[in-house]
Amino acid sequence: MTDALRLEPVLDLKAATPLQTALLARRGRAVEIDASGVERLGGLCLQVLLSAHRTWGDDGFPLQVTPRSEAFTEALRLFGADTRLDESRLEEMDAQ
Amino acid sequence: MDELEEIKVTFFQECDELLGDLEAGLLTLQDGAGDAETVNSVFRAVHSVKGGAGAFGLDALVRYAHVFETLMDAVRAGRMAAGLELVRVLLRAADVLADQVTAARGGGSPDEAATAAMVAELESWIAGEPSAGADTSEPTPTDTAEPNDDMDFGFTPMTIQMISLEPEPVAAPPKVWTVTFKPSPSLYAKANEAGLLLRELARLGPVEPHLDDSAIPNLDVLDPEGAYLTWTLRLTTSEDEQAIREAFEFVDGDCDLSVSVDAVEPASPGDAAGDLDIARLIALATAEPESAAAIPLPLPAAASEPAVATAAVAPIAPATPQRQATAAAEQAPVQATIRVDPERIDRLIDLVGELVINQAMLAQRVSAHGFAPSSDVSMGLDELEQLTRGIQDSVMAIRAQPVKSVFQRMPRLLREVATQTRKQARLVMEGEGTEVDKTVIERLAEPITHMLRNAIDHGLESPEDRIAAGKPAEGTVRLAALHRGGRIVIEVQDDGKGINRPRVRQIAIDKGLLAADAQLTDEETDNLIFLPGFSTAGVVSDISGRGVGMDVVRRSVQALGGRISIASIPGSGSTFTLSLPLTLAVLDGMVVDVAGQTLVIPLTAIIESLRPRQDEVHALGSQGAVLAVRDTFVRLVDIGTVLGFRDQATAPNEGVVLLVEGEDGSRSALVADAIQGQRQVVIKSLEANYRQVEGIAAATILGDGRVALIVDVDALVAVRREPARPVEPLLIAAE
Repeated sequence: MTDALRLEPVLDLKAATPLQTALLARRGRAVEIDASGVERLGGLCLQVLLSAHRTWGDDGFPLQVTPRSEAFTEALRLFGADTRLDESRLEEMDAQ
Repeated sequence: MDELEEIKVTFFQECDELLGDLEAGLLTLQDGAGDAETVNSVFRAVHSVKGGAGAFGLDALVRYAHVFETLMDAVRAGRMAAGLELVRVLLRAADVLADQVTAARGGGSPDEAATAAMVAELESWIAGEPSAGADTSEPTPTDTAEPNDDMDFGFTPMTIQMISLEPEPVAAPPKVWTVTFKPSPSLYAKANEAGLLLRELARLGPVEPHLDDSAIPNLDVLDPEGAYLTWTLRLTTSEDEQAIREAFEFVDGDCDLSVSVDAVEPASPGDAAGDLDIARLIALATAEPESAAAIPLPLPAAASEPAVATAAVAPIAPATPQRQATAAAEQAPVQATIRVDPERIDRLIDLVGELVINQAMLAQRVSAHGFAPSSDVSMGLDELEQLTRGIQDSVMAIRAQPVKSVFQRMPRLLREVATQTRKQARLVMEGEGTEVDKTVIERLAEPITHMLRNAIDHGLESPEDRIAAGKPAEGTVRLAALHRGGRIVIEVQDDGKGINRPRVRQIAIDKGLLAADAQLTDEETDNLIFLPGFSTAGVVSDISGRGVGMDVVRRSVQALGGRISIASIPGSGSTFTLSLPLTLAVLDGMVVDVAGQTLVIPLTAIIESLRPRQDEVHALGSQGAVLAVRDTFVRLVDIGTVLGFRDQATAPNEGVVLLVEGEDGSRSALVADAIQGQRQVVIKSLEANYRQVEGIAAATILGDGRVALIVDVDALVAVRREPARPVEPLLIAAE
C-alpha cells in the first residue's frame, strides 16, 4: 500500500527533524510525497528528502514526490537537485 | 531556540550599525564625494540586512530590502547614476528600512502605507532604469542574471545606446568562475540557509549548480542538522571575486568555500591562470572581527572611512584587483572586537565608582590613624589609588564612543532645514572620531540639533542676500568636535550675517530683559539670546521656534555640567561653542568647606586659589564686592550666602578665594571657608535622587560616607548676578 505525506509549506531549519521523523515512520512502504503546498525549501530538508529518496531506493520501495509547487521546483533547480527526486531509480527497479 | 534568539539579538545589533553605514554612505554620495566603493558599501549594508532577515524568516523586511537592494544593485552595476534626486529617494528609503527593522525587532508595526509608497517609488526607479537618460534606447532586460549589462561601477549617467553600438570601454568581460561551497553543520546551526546563499550568488549572473550528494547517508542514520552536501557552482559574471565572496559573507568559517576563475571567455573554460590567493583571503576573512563595520571582505580602505572621503573627493575608479590586494594588506592587522551588552559595562562603571569611593574612605581612615606618608601602609595606599585610577580610566575608555553617531544625523537635518527655509547650505564636519563617554553622546544630539537649526534659520542669509553681500550663494555650516582641556567641545559655525546686535539689544529691552540704558559689551549682547523668553524671529518659524529657545538649550547643557557660548562677527557669521565634560560619571574636583558643609567645585572651572589681603577687596554697591586680582577686578561671590547656608558673607580675607572662569570667559571669585583638597569624585545625579537645585550640578559620596554637593560654577555665579542684572552694568559704568 502507498502512504501519503503532505509536506509543510515552510521546510526550513526547524522542519528537518520532524520531516525525518515523519518519513521514518513510513519506512518500508511506498510513499507519495505531496509537495504542492511547499513555499520554501531549505538545505537541511533537502538533505532529508534526498536521503529518503536514496533509502527508499535501497529498500526497493517507490518514493514519489508529486505534485510539486512552483516554489518547490524552483528551489530544487536552484540547489541543482532538479532531477534527484525523480523516479528514475524506481523505474529501473521496476524494469528489473 | 535560545541560541537562535541570541543570534537574532546580534543580528539586530548589526542592523543598527549597518543602517548607520547605509546612511553615512548615502550622505557621502549626496555630497558628491562618493565613489564606487561608497556605492558598494551602501549596497552591502542593504544586502546584509536582507540576508540576516532572510535567515530569521522576517519576510516583510526581506521583501522591502529586496526592492531597495535591486535598485542599489542597478546603481552599483553602473546602470543608473546616483544623481542627487535618486540619492534623496534612497535616503528616504533608508528611513523606511530603519522603521522596518524596528518593527521586525518588535517595536510596533511599520507604517504599511509609507512602506508601500516607498516600494512603489523604488520600483518606478527600477522600472525606469534602462531608459534613464536615454528614452530612445532599447530597454535592457532588468534581469539580474544578465551579465552584459554590468558596467563595473562605471558610475556615470547612461548615454544613448552605448551598449549596443559601441564596444564597452569600462565593462569587464564576463568570466566563468567555479565556486565550491560546502556548508558545515555550524552554518545551519547559526540559522543560515544554503538556499539563500545560492540565491544571492545567482544575482551575480547565471549559475550552473552541480550538487554532490554522495555523502548523504540513509535516512535512519542521517543527522537532520548535519551537513552532507557540496555544491560546485559555475557562475558567469563580470563581477569580481570580492563580489562573489560577499554572497557568503555571513557564513565565514561556517563553510568550505573556494572561488576560482576558469576563463575570461565563457566559451573557453579550464584556464585557471586568474586564480587568486584564496587561502590567504579565507584566512583574512575568518580573522575579521565580528563588528558590522568589518563584515565586508577586504575592501579598499576608503570604504571604512567615509568621513574622510567627504573632505577629499575620491576618484571614481573601478575596484581593480591590485587595489583590493593593497587594501587587504592594509587591513590585515585589524584588531578583533567583541560585542558587550552595555548594561554590563554600566554595571562595571558603577562598581568602579564604588571602588573609588571605597578607596577614598580607606585613605581617610588610614590618615586618621596617623600613619606617616612614608609608611608601608600609606605607600601601599598610594599604589592602590593609582591602580584604581587606572582601572577607572580603562573602564571609561571602554564606554567612549566617537561622536560620529550623532554627527551622522546632521546632514539630513541640514538639508531639511535648508529646504524649508529656502537657503542653500553645505555642512562641513570635523572631528567625527572624537571620543566621548556614552553618557554624554546620548545627550549631545539635542543641543547640536538646535544649534544647527539656529545656524541655518537665523545665521545664514538667503541666497540672494548672500550674493548681494559678495558671498557665495551657498552658505557653509561647520560642525566640529574636539577635545580641549579635559572636555569635549562642539562648535557650530556659520558664515552668515552674524548677530544683529542692535536688534538683539532692542528685543531684550522690549521684553524687559534688559534696562534700556544698560551698557553691554558685544559679548554680553550676543549672550542675551540665551536669556529665557528671548526669540529674535519676528515670526515664530517651525524650524527654530519649536517651543525650545536657546535658554532651554543652555539650561539642558548646563544640567550636564556643560556650557554654551556664542561669538559673532557682524557680516561674517557666528560660532556657537558647546563644551561638555568627557564623562558624566566622574569629575576632578576641589573639595571645600563652606559654613560647615562640604562642597566640590569642578577643577576645570578653577584658575587659581588664593587668600586675599583686606586691601584687595573693594565694596561695590550695598552688598556686592570685587576683588583686585593683578590688574583686574573680579566679582566676589560668597558660596555660603548664595546657596543659603548662611546670611552673612564671610570676609574674603578670612576664608579662601577660588578664582573661577565661566564658559563665556568671565571670571568670578568664589569665597569658601577652607580647602580640603583635590579629589576625583564619582558623580551621582541629584535630579535622579532628589531634585534639581539651583547652583548645584550633582552630588557625590565622600570618603567618610557623607554626601557632598558638586557646585555648578556658572549657575552659581548666575544666581548671584541675576536679580541685579538689569542695573549692574550701570554700576560698573558709574565706577
